[in-house]
Amino acid sequence: MQVEKFYYDNRSVKNFAFATVIWGVIGMLAGLYAALQLVFPSLNFIQYGSFGRLRPLHTNAVIFAFVGNGIFMGVYYSLQRLCKARMFSDTLSKIHFWGWQLIIVAAAITLPLGITAGKEYAELEWPIDIAITLMWVVFGWNMFGTILKRREKHLYVAIWFYIATFVTVAVLHITNSMALPVTLFKSYSLYAGVQDALVQWWYGHNAVAFFLTTPYLGLMYYFMPKAANRPVYSYKLSIIHFWSLIFLYIWAGPHHLLYTALPNWAQSLGVVFSVMLIFPSWGGMINGLLTLRGAWDKVRDDVILKFMVVAVTAYGMATFEGPLLSLKSISAISHYTDWIVAHVHVGALGWNGMLTFGILYWLIPRIFNTTLYSKKLANNHFWLGTLGIVFYAVPMYWAGFQQSSMWKQFTEAGQLKYTFLETVTYMKPFYAMRSLGGTLYLLGTLFMVYNLYKTAKAGKLVANEAAEAAPLEKAYVSHKGEHWHRWIERKPVQLMVVSLIVILIGGAIEMIPTFMIKSNVPTISSVKPYTPLELQGRDLYVREGCYTCHSQMIRPFRSETERYGEYSKAGEFVYDHPFQWGSKRTGPDLAREGTGNLKKTNGWHFRHFREPSSMSEGSIMPPYAFMLKDNLDTSTTIAKINAMRTLGVPYEKGFEKVANADLMAQANEIADNLKTDSIRVSPNKEVIALIAYIQRMGKDISTQPTNR
Amino acid sequence: MYKFIKQYTETMDYAAIYPMISLFIFFLFFIVLLVLVKKMDKKRVIELSNIPLDTDETITSNN
Repeated sequence: MQVEKFYYDNRSVKNFAFATVIWGVIGMLAGLYAALQLVFPSLNFIQYGSFGRLRPLHTNAVIFAFVGNGIFMGVYYSLQRLCKARMFSDTLSKIHFWGWQLIIVAAAITLPLGITAGKEYAELEWPIDIAITLMWVVFGWNMFGTILKRREKHLYVAIWFYIATFVTVAVLHITNSMALPVTLFKSYSLYAGVQDALVQWWYGHNAVAFFLTTPYLGLMYYFMPKAANRPVYSYKLSIIHFWSLIFLYIWAGPHHLLYTALPNWAQSLGVVFSVMLIFPSWGGMINGLLTLRGAWDKVRDDVILKFMVVAVTAYGMATFEGPLLSLKSISAISHYTDWIVAHVHVGALGWNGMLTFGILYWLIPRIFNTTLYSKKLANNHFWLGTLGIVFYAVPMYWAGFQQSSMWKQFTEAGQLKYTFLETVTYMKPFYAMRSLGGTLYLLGTLFMVYNLYKTAKAGKLVANEAAEAAPLEKAYVSHKGEHWHRWIERKPVQLMVVSLIVILIGGAIEMIPTFMIKSNVPTISSVKPYTPLELQGRDLYVREGCYTCHSQMIRPFRSETERYGEYSKAGEFVYDHPFQWGSKRTGPDLAREGTGNLKKTNGWHFRHFREPSSMSEGSIMPPYAFMLKDNLDTSTTIAKINAMRTLGVPYEKGFEKVANADLMAQANEIADNLKTDSIRVSPNKEVIALIAYIQRMGKDISTQPTNR
Repeated sequence: MYKFIKQYTETMDYAAIYPMISLFIFFLFFIVLLVLVKKMDKKRVIELSNIPLDTDETITSNN
């Protein structure tokens, strides 16, 4: 057969590789700065960079900019070689690259401005969400175009992982981003309370699964055999790995919501599937590590293999820990603590980071047709990175255990032994050590930047790399008795459809009952919609990213009900678009902040927002003094009330017309009350709305007198 | 666990069949997967696992 000559597109690979490196450094810098803010709260000197806004910037930058570009770099390189074809369209490649970078820039601008949807890892507002959807379609189009014009009949296992990634991320992103736009920069989640929480953590967990894991497993299945120069340990295992991983992962989301107001059966379902996840995860890890069978001597000299071995080992550790963390008894200890922060960083720094670095060191010299500038520097990077992970994770694990046990300790007299503030100040040395770990890791990354820069400079980009392959036979005649999987290995579209069905099973079984069955969210008649001022205040709470440090979900433990009051009920959140349960308690839970023993005066809150440490000595909360000066934007009130009504919040007809009058009346009340505390402030300041919201929390089902 | 599910799905018609279906899908999925993978042709598997390795590594440029 006639052999065809064609060229691989290395320019797109290079672009994505450089973007990976640049955004990686920026994302890590943001993380390091946020970590330092917890040690030195004075670093929160400007509202645009306060912890609550910076933390989403860090997570979004690392997940979608660093790992995102890393995925595209790896996919664009490996897909072309595995398909023996150039990427489908150079134009689509360009649109994809620049479109994705624009989305990242938009995120980097909007998040510091406080433009956020308030759902973790899905903070970006609706116009950017639409842009992400479009760019994802471009990526899929380009990928499927390439697969369809391939010269290799069979789809190697890496490509299945890419296809599953594409289809599942599309489903996750669209389902979770469903929102009703209020203005150009503000929207409300279509779901409320428990349902919003379930959708969010179904998304959140599977963003880990299908953005941070499956594409990287695809990369592992391509680049590890390449780097070790031997085929994957077991191809059969990789088939089982693939199908069972995508089937099981999608059910596990509710393990993020154990002991919350989520229906018990959904929690149990999440636990069972999370425990089972260990099998495919470890199957994949073992498959990766055993690929090096008989080549372990190479690991001693080959820095690329070193990175990959640590990456796969970190994957194994994180996926061993994950199922453990999802057991209810362990979640009772670990949830809301820094243990979880340690866990995700073993995954992010270890698995995603180290694998990305390994691939970069392998790939850059190849597309620049040269050798790596300095192996020694790369070795130093390896040790800095590895030590960085250890110095990051160990203090955070320690902090997590310590935090949890301090929260739960009682004195002999039966009272809580520690105030929340005591547990916070105790954490500071651990946070400082963690920053050291982060610094080492970042330093290693900077070594890599220099090393790759020198490598690229020494070589010349082979923008179009020549290759040859025979075209596919036009009509493939399947022979009798052929294996079933060959059918699917040849047909990318079928593979996509089957993957879609497999992931939809788990998602559907989890969600349909929660949405369909009324008894899942018992109605509480005393729960009323927010007043206009409280609603505006709540939106400020979302804008400032308060949920990054404060939960609004009291679990049914004595240690929590003693500290915070009655445990949270599903029916309390029916008007919360979006839910704000949070996932981390750097500060205390706020679900009952306006009631019982927790209630403080308006004056206390005013002074606390101005300078938290003036009211709680040693507090690491950022100051919000600018909210004492900035006027509340009441031009949006009508649109917000209308939007909420559309979403099912029972505001009376015509209420929007009097909403602002109602808002001002309540604001005047608070401003007057503040006067009794010798605080003179105009009622139209933002802080008034925020105080109104904080004072509202927990009031609906409070049976205690509201004034202490 | 079954009791849990039933209790919450009471208001749905034919609720009892729901967890049964999930269990059935789950077992069927893995049994079929394992059987089919076990039956795969060995030679073919070796061929497939070598796909990433048989690309030509020599780098030439047209620019």
